[in-house]
Amino acid sequence: MVGLTAPFMARARTTLVALPERDATVIRLDNPMATLIEEERQLTLQKGLNKIDFSWKGVSIDADSIRLQIIDHPGQVTLLNVSYPPNEAALVWEIASESDFVETVRISYLLGNIDRLITYKAVADKAETAIDFRSYLVLRNFSGENFDNAMVKLDDGEAFKQAIDHEETKRLLFLKAGNVPITKIWRWDSAQLPWDPETLNNKNVGIPVSYRIVNNKTSGLGGHALWGGKARIFQVDGHRSTIFLGEDVSGLVPVGEKMELYIGDSRDIVVTQRKMKEKQINIRRTQHKSNPRIVLYDMDEEITAKIENFKDTPAVLTMIQHIPGEWKMVNCNLEYSRKDANTLEFEIDLPARRDTGMAVVQLKMNYHRLNLRP
Amino acid sequence: MKYLKIALLFLVVGMISQPSFAKVDLVTLPGRDTTQLTIYNSADLTLVRDGRALTLKEGRNQLQFSWANTLIDPTSLEMLPKTNADKIDIFDLTYPPRVKNLGVWNIKSGIQGKVPVELTYLTSGISWRAFYMGTLAPDEKTMRLKGYVRVTNNSGEDYENAQTRLIVGKVNLLDQIAQLAKREHPYGRPGAVPISGEIQASLKAKRVLMETAEAMPSVAGKIPEKKEITKEGLSEYFLYTIEGTETIPTGWSKRLPSFDVAGVPVVNLYKFEQRRYGDRPVRFLSFKNDDTHKLGESPIPGGMLKAFRIVDDTQHLSYEGQSSFKYIPVDEDVELNLGPVQNVVVEPKLMDYRTDNYTFDKKGQITGWDEIRTFRIEVKNTREVAVRLEIKRNFDTNYWDLKNSGDYGNFEKEDKDTVKYALQLPPHSNKEFDYILTTYHGHRQDNH
Repeated sequence: MVGLTAPFMARARTTLVALPERDATVIRLDNPMATLIEEERQLTLQKGLNKIDFSWKGVSIDADSIRLQIIDHPGQVTLLNVSYPPNEAALVWEIASESDFVETVRISYLLGNIDRLITYKAVADKAETAIDFRSYLVLRNFSGENFDNAMVKLDDGEAFKQAIDHEETKRLLFLKAGNVPITKIWRWDSAQLPWDPETLNNKNVGIPVSYRIVNNKTSGLGGHALWGGKARIFQVDGHRSTIFLGEDVSGLVPVGEKMELYIGDSRDIVVTQRKMKEKQINIRRTQHKSNPRIVLYDMDEEITAKIENFKDTPAVLTMIQHIPGEWKMVNCNLEYSRKDANTLEFEIDLPARRDTGMAVVQLKMNYHRLNLRP
Repeated sequence: MKYLKIALLFLVVGMISQPSFAKVDLVTLPGRDTTQLTIYNSADLTLVRDGRALTLKEGRNQLQFSWANTLIDPTSLEMLPKTNADKIDIFDLTYPPRVKNLGVWNIKSGIQGKVPVELTYLTSGISWRAFYMGTLAPDEKTMRLKGYVRVTNNSGEDYENAQTRLIVGKVNLLDQIAQLAKREHPYGRPGAVPISGEIQASLKAKRVLMETAEAMPSVAGKIPEKKEITKEGLSEYFLYTIEGTETIPTGWSKRLPSFDVAGVPVVNLYKFEQRRYGDRPVRFLSFKNDDTHKLGESPIPGGMLKAFRIVDDTQHLSYEGQSSFKYIPVDEDVELNLGPVQNVVVEPKLMDYRTDNYTFDKKGQITGWDEIRTFRIEVKNTREVAVRLEIKRNFDTNYWDLKNSGDYGNFEKEDKDTVKYALQLPPHSNKEFDYILTTYHGHRQDNH
């Protein structure tokens, strides 16, 4: 086998004790940055000084991370020192034993080029109210080492037995939850999307659409944090088949938090925003007799937005507007909430298109930006 | 070309010996029973659903799937038993070491015998696009609109008798499927991930496109009939399902009619806006995707429209121009830009300029004034058909007043510094109107 020589075999330098085959091996994948291997072996120790070779040719082990733990007779068996032979991926342990023992030791080390990925697959129902949610664990082993029968341990949940060879990738179903409620979100942000689709010369403005999933018991989840990974979202089509809706990548979602997956763009909701007024008012000037300068003024601004829903289903559009600096609202025909000093969020209910044509909602807001200086 | 292979391995051996793995061939290769292609046009992406009947034995089974010389994304592979799902456990999908384009499902079956399964995966290399032909009546009041779709298979795999579905819509994709298909290891490898940059290069080189359905292999003995395309909305997308099945070998493409509607009422719309289009009006063909225009059944996917006009009784045609077509939802207006014209003329002229209402400070310096401009707009329709004309005027300030006079049609304020006039012009007609624009400067802005 290419690159797969058994790296932990005893080497004949100081053949006092042969390092036997490992027993229980644990692959700990709880830290996404590094993988910790713990393996147990039975050493046949003789009374006095024992030397044990440990080598890892062709395997990327962080030498400073190697630890040896005495399990059975920690009071009577002592690790005295560790030495590293020149130009070799190896070390030699010197162990003092007070008697002849068959001693269980646990060797642990950080092993490179072995890790796990998480991927998600979600299938939404036709009404887009719930999803069938699956999570897969992808084990990737390019460490140079074969694992015949290891316990794989994630940060929570049961450990499971798994064999994985060098250069092998395995995908396992890891979490399954049916009927997880979702909220569908359309988001139009005035700072990110064009205001007037007509000026774009035959290009559609896509309004980003996301599904929101809450990681809690009500959703049938909430058992543990959902790890970050790529999610592919499908939808059943009513013909015993599915279509692919889109994919997104999620960060870690702790219990109680929301996962928001951007699936694609809607072109059936069209927003046309215009600035209808932008005038200086309340102008204050210096007292100079000649050429008085403007020192302070307010700006009277009016924004209108026409939101057209061409869909035959209702939708709730989250519209984000930004007003910089100091400001006060003079008049606004729709309700909003302030997300921060300069960000306004509107939740706009859009009725479905009717036989008479698309549904239109108009936003009109008149505000003053205050105490501006030229 | 048949590159997708399925092999069922009744493996008793615990380990697969790598060098010989690709040669394990002792097995039934069940053919496809059904194939469904769902092809996207916003990305190089097709969802393939492949139905096959496997013969499982009770206990452990290994199912090998290989996809050399295709453009399949191996991370998208899924298998679902269609019956007895509760008796069949799929443990894992393994991508064995040092073997390319091969995956092995480890399955535990509680039953023995034939089990229909469905394989799904994403592939690149199959695409579709929409295009249109519009033929205007001599009076240009109506148009016959024909829509086509053209499906092209460059995936490396022949798809025979596949149910073909087309998706209109914009999906969010993180990775190009073609790149995922070219990866050395399906999920990459920890650490540096060198990905081959040459995507589809070899496939593109031998790309041969066949234009029409006549060139396609035909099914002997069958009289071809026009196929219906059913259209339905799903999430933010539209799904077009082509009736029956299609066979599209790799390297081929196929053109299919999507719709054909005669007598769509159209408006000859001309737009004039110097800031945007320069000094010549631009011709648009305008209609609406709704019932009154004999459309409105479903959104119209974006594409290119070539517009023709019938010029005489013997159905001779003239070519009027072409326009790219964006996606048009139901009930939305369509405006096809056919380019600038000379047969409809708009001439704005500055007829008078004066200043007024100066204000001064105590030292006699000017602090404010008004500028008053009188414009005359002359419009001419030299065509034999009636047209609609929209004129937009942009002012470079937010402090202005306007007075219109003459035959100015419908007037509206477009935004803080733009106004719009809409006029109907009969065949061979002239019109003119005036507007007086007063702009305020300096302190004169304070009260305007």
